[in-house]
Amino acid sequence: MGDSSAASGTSLNSSGRGAKAASSPAENYQLARRRTLQVVVSALLTESGFESAEKAAVETLTEMMQSYITEIGRCAKTYCEHTARSVPTLSDTVVTLIEMGFNVDTLPVYAKRSQRMVITAPPVTNAPVTPKSLSAGQKRTHPSHIPGHFPEFPDPHTYIKTPTFREPVSDYQVVREKAATQRRDVERALTRFMAKTGETQSLFKDDISAFPLIAARPSTIPYLSALLPSELELQTLEETDSSEQDDQTDSENAAGNVIADDPSADKENSVLPPGGVVPSTKASEDNVIDNPYLRPVKKPKVRRKK
Amino acid sequence: MNKKKDKGFESPRPFKLTHQVVCINNINFQRKSVIGYVELTIFPTVVNLNRIKLNSKQCRIYRVRVNDLEAPFIYNDPTLEVCHNESKQRNLNYFSSAYTAAVSAVDPDAGNGELVIKVPSELWKQGDDLKVLKVYIEFSLDQPKGGLHFVVPDVEGSMAERGAHVFSFGYQNSTRFWFPCVDSYSELCTWKLEFTVDASMVAVSCGDLVETIYTHDMRKKTFHYVLPIPTAAPNISLAVGPFEILVDPYMHEVTHFCLPQLLPLLKHSMSYLHEIFEFYEEILTCRYPYSCFKTVFVDEAYVQVSSYASMSIFSTNLLHSPMIIDQTPQTRRCLAQALAQQFFGCFISRMSWADEWVLKGISGYIYGLYLKKTFGVNEYRHWIKEELDQIVEYELKMGGVLLHPTFSGGKEKDNPTPHLHFSIKHPHTLSWEYFKMFQCKAHLVMRLIENRISMEFMLQVFNKLLSLASTASSQKYQSHMWSQMLLSTHAFLKSISNVSGKDIGPLIKQWMCRDQSGVVKFFGSFAFNRKRNVLELEIRQDYTSSGTQKYVGPIKVTVQELDGSFNHTLQIEENSLKHDIPCHSKSRRNKKKKIPLMNGEEVDMDLSAMDADSPLLWIRIDPDMSILRKVEFEQADFMWQYQLRYERDVVAQEEAITALEKFPTPASRLALTDILEQEQCFYKVRMQACFCLAKIANSMMSTWQGPPAMKSLFTRMFCCKSCPNIVRTNNFINFQSYFLQKTMPVAMALLRDVQNLCPKDVLNFILDLIKYNDNRKNKFSDNYYRADLIEALTNSLTPAISINNEVRTVDNLNPDVRLILEEITRFLNMEKLLPSFRNTITVSCLRAIRQLQKNGHIPSDPSLFKAYAEYGHFVDVRVSALEALVDYTRVERSSADLQWLLDMVQSDPVHYVRHEILGMLCKNPPFTKSADSGLCNEALVDQLWKLMNSGGTAHDWRLRCDAVNLYYTLFGLTRPSCLPLPELGLVLNLKEKKAVLNPTIKPELGVSVVMDTPASIGIHGVGISYAAVDEEPDPVSLGVCGVGQPPQGLKRKAETPLGSPPEPGQILQHQEDDGRAGRYKIRFNTMEEEDIDMETVHDSQAFIHHQLNLLERPSTPGKEPPLVEQSLLSTPATLPPLFSKETPLLSSKHSSKEKDRDRDRDRDRDNSYAYSNSPASGRSLRSPSLSD
Repeated sequence: MGDSSAASGTSLNSSGRGAKAASSPAENYQLARRRTLQVVVSALLTESGFESAEKAAVETLTEMMQSYITEIGRCAKTYCEHTARSVPTLSDTVVTLIEMGFNVDTLPVYAKRSQRMVITAPPVTNAPVTPKSLSAGQKRTHPSHIPGHFPEFPDPHTYIKTPTFREPVSDYQVVREKAATQRRDVERALTRFMAKTGETQSLFKDDISAFPLIAARPSTIPYLSALLPSELELQTLEETDSSEQDDQTDSENAAGNVIADDPSADKENSVLPPGGVVPSTKASEDNVIDNPYLRPVKKPKVRRKK
Repeated sequence: MNKKKDKGFESPRPFKLTHQVVCINNINFQRKSVIGYVELTIFPTVVNLNRIKLNSKQCRIYRVRVNDLEAPFIYNDPTLEVCHNESKQRNLNYFSSAYTAAVSAVDPDAGNGELVIKVPSELWKQGDDLKVLKVYIEFSLDQPKGGLHFVVPDVEGSMAERGAHVFSFGYQNSTRFWFPCVDSYSELCTWKLEFTVDASMVAVSCGDLVETIYTHDMRKKTFHYVLPIPTAAPNISLAVGPFEILVDPYMHEVTHFCLPQLLPLLKHSMSYLHEIFEFYEEILTCRYPYSCFKTVFVDEAYVQVSSYASMSIFSTNLLHSPMIIDQTPQTRRCLAQALAQQFFGCFISRMSWADEWVLKGISGYIYGLYLKKTFGVNEYRHWIKEELDQIVEYELKMGGVLLHPTFSGGKEKDNPTPHLHFSIKHPHTLSWEYFKMFQCKAHLVMRLIENRISMEFMLQVFNKLLSLASTASSQKYQSHMWSQMLLSTHAFLKSISNVSGKDIGPLIKQWMCRDQSGVVKFFGSFAFNRKRNVLELEIRQDYTSSGTQKYVGPIKVTVQELDGSFNHTLQIEENSLKHDIPCHSKSRRNKKKKIPLMNGEEVDMDLSAMDADSPLLWIRIDPDMSILRKVEFEQADFMWQYQLRYERDVVAQEEAITALEKFPTPASRLALTDILEQEQCFYKVRMQACFCLAKIANSMMSTWQGPPAMKSLFTRMFCCKSCPNIVRTNNFINFQSYFLQKTMPVAMALLRDVQNLCPKDVLNFILDLIKYNDNRKNKFSDNYYRADLIEALTNSLTPAISINNEVRTVDNLNPDVRLILEEITRFLNMEKLLPSFRNTITVSCLRAIRQLQKNGHIPSDPSLFKAYAEYGHFVDVRVSALEALVDYTRVERSSADLQWLLDMVQSDPVHYVRHEILGMLCKNPPFTKSADSGLCNEALVDQLWKLMNSGGTAHDWRLRCDAVNLYYTLFGLTRPSCLPLPELGLVLNLKEKKAVLNPTIKPELGVSVVMDTPASIGIHGVGISYAAVDEEPDPVSLGVCGVGQPPQGLKRKAETPLGSPPEPGQILQHQEDDGRAGRYKIRFNTMEEEDIDMETVHDSQAFIHHQLNLLERPSTPGKEPPLVEQSLLSTPATLPPLFSKETPLLSSKHSSKEKDRDRDRDRDRDNSYAYSNSPASGRSLRSPSLSD
């Protein structure tokens, strides 16, 4: 039953197409089943006293029949999975039939009715060959402590780790070379792309595509992009902020040079200055700062209103 | 000294301003307009004050009321159009004198103004009691072209969201551009300032913010400022915008403002301002004079730094993030300058233009002290040398810079600076370059004074001046103490002699006298006399070429001998050239002995290079730069090398490097390389050594051994140990190395091989530097480094080999150039995606592209630069693109592009860019007066003439002077040669009754320009006189030469009872053209004869022109000519009494005559007013209310 449900599912999909050209063995198989169903429907019709039927009617009935059986199969499978099994049992089917409003008790009587027609078994067709998954290596057998009914081990390649022993490139020159080339390639590709997709200016009259320059576009507030550090730079800054570079600062400063003030001033912003009373109390003081620009704006005096 | 001068300042005005209210009710960003009113509280100082002259430019004045009575007024600005009527003159002499006259005619320091208000007669009586007058003026400004600058970005959103802002700007006293005032540095008053702005905006102005109040509809708010410290109008400023506010964490009285989104940068950039404050307060032992300080950072700033009372306006481009190295010291310098000017310039103001140098000098000097403290002595001395070199170069090229324009030593000449094409009697007629050099010289002279009297005394003098001023500032007006806040040359010099007890007269005379302005040019050489063990030093001077002067006095010479360093002070006298200096050491050097240096250090030297007979290592002339001089000294190459290696003074090292360029020997190479490697050496010296090494290497091309200069050095310093062709990942934590790393490739790229090409391996080396540049691990941005690498690529370019002038195409591109071009393209494109700080990389790329074009590698084409020059790019990018365009214009002689540039000068919204274009055109002119060019045509002359005469420059003094400069560069002083000959070839000389060739036809006029102002006349002895100033009746109204009347007829003897020293004796005024641009001339009795001759040519020429114009002009009704004629004819008859004052020498009679003088003065003034219809002072005579 489960098998048929799965098969009919696919037959539904491919039925429209299958009539025209049934090439694959799976489709052949399904067509054969369908034909059997049709025979069954016709037999039932004959049994009920019809002498002839339109093709469309037979088709419809076949469809209904197929749907019904499919539904039984699907439900039965669901019930069985619900109880954590993989193959439906009789009781699953019975429950299903009951669920679908079918009186199970009438079934044996019906099955044994006198006028029933015996239909020959469908012509033997090859069951579709499910393509075998590529098996790689020897599957492992269960160790002794695992009962035999447990599923088999999957293919070894899915769980076995294969260490690769190729030496990572640690040669400094090569790394730098690679990094530089990579960056250059990325930049070139990116700029080429931008140049291709947007307006360009050219340095040569004869060959406009030779050295394409992305066209200069005036911006409304040019100073923003020129002054604010780009996100990339900010990122680098965050990364290097805590790096060892700061440690060097002090020793370099001690050398006593002319702009030695700069790094120390820069440090003041990131690190608290040695006698840093001011900035440490800054946060708390912010509230007390009496700066005229921070005072609230006054409401106009009422008497002024006239 | 003259007692009268001690009394302090006497105002040129018949009233004294005590308080002014400025109220701006409405600022419309959409329409760029401003509406407001001012109210001036004035005390008449004379009875019957009936005229009030104020300054106001471009304001539309709606009404004027005096004490609530409507008052008639006339408004006339002669500087709008300098020369009227399509005059065919077109020569710069004529323009300059007319312009000077126009500026004087409204000069507040001479008591003049554009706005003349007639005091209603009802109030005349009141004037008798010298009561207060309140002058109320309503005005508006519509799309101001000067004074206020609106920045309104064209994007969606409200004005605040767009970052629209407005700020005041100007060159010198330019406040009159945005509200009516007495626009003089010497007229102090207290202020109340009110600005009503949109609720989302902040108005920052001078003084204390008292309160901020919403308007009734709550959509706007009014900022109320009070400035209780008496301040001159030019020091008032305003900035309105949606500023982000940062209260300084160290000093809560200090508030910083920046445009939206820039707050993080502001926080960083301002984090060290408190140190500057502390420094100045400490050395001046004086608190910062104002109760608060504000810094505002604005876009499209006029100058980088401008200081006003209690606030400074900066360019927003000074802000930077902590990642930027190069900008940091520059921004700090700007802040330090601004703060220095707060003390001297804003708080202490000047008495007259002639005293400007004191303020500029002191602020520049204390700024130098800050540099010394913050950046070190090396940096300071390097800076002094740089400044000195600059002034020397400028003066030798252009002639002397005169610090005190009216300071006259001995013989009088009317024009103190005949070598210049502009007048220096007004700040507004100065060329910008000259003004910069003026500032530079001022602080250098201040340093010389320090050398003379010691720094301690110097600071005491400053402290004294400041404490006098701060005492005065807290006084009420009635105490007449305010003039203590004005600084004059005289008061400064007196203070110096009081404090130090030293006479610095000779020093002042040497560097400030008009006859001696200029630098000293020394040539030195020496010989060693072995027998006498004496150094025979010869010092010659060149004092004949322009810009030089003769020096007599002491000079210091330092001789480094084997046994130590010895200072000698020689006396430079008239005829003595040779000086014998005894040597201390014998020329023995068998013993290995350490050699003591000047600073006490003892070093080992390899003495093998020396001359065996002489103990001299090196000699320096004037090592402390205590003379404004240029020294060319001859000594042997090994001496220079020793000097470079062992002399510890950076100036000496730099001099040695410059000298070594002439000695391309392996020894020089070694000395330079050693310096380069020496970490203790000042980094700027090492940078300079790089370039010298490149030059030497080029001269030694054929004998050069080993790899290209600096390559191995660079590899050792900055490349990986394991793979020397790869540069280390960037780490700029050591700034010395950083600067060296930046400079070396630039210098290396200057190397050339035998074919005069950049050596292949140098180019590859630079390309590798670019390729392997890796900044990921760096704490700092590498934008300046990358920009310098591009510059290196640019430097490596050499002219392309062109085969019969074919068109440059991609295919015939040199393979090396192709590589360079690829890098540049990639850099330029990347910059669009990841812009660098201040777009330094774009700037370098544009330069590189221009260089490629110029060298013929790629087709010369201006369109790329034009795109980058458009408004909307970052200003540095624009300037660099414009620079390329200027160069293109010159090389290709493209008149279309010259036109494009000139159009931009007229229309660009950014004042700085307009100024830069003209500046660059002057530096790199498309053609010059000496060379013929197809570009030089009549239309261009007309256009430029219009530009400086009226047109776009009338609202920006600086721009007008730039235009004058350009005109001078292109055409010279005389009539441009491309113009057709003027109508008359012969001119009738009325004085000498003979005909001469029309001077305009002569190729070069031997006669100097006559430019003089009424306000600057007599000088008595060494001191400076102000006395003459205020008592001089307005010369415009004095003598007016009638038509056809020879000028001699107007001469008048001065009342000089005791035969005083040269006194202003006669004043003559000549009518020129149609008489509008009056040229007057102040004569001194000793000089009469000569002067007449000088004037002759001009007079007659002007007279003829005048006549011609009268004939030519259609007699349009309502035009001025008839009036002018009338006034011309009527004036001689009613000349006011001249020179009723006594001479300064007679000061004992002073008090007794005071009354008389007052009366005379009043009469003079009235008279002078009556004739202010005279041409020079005005032309709009339409107001009927004025007819007396």
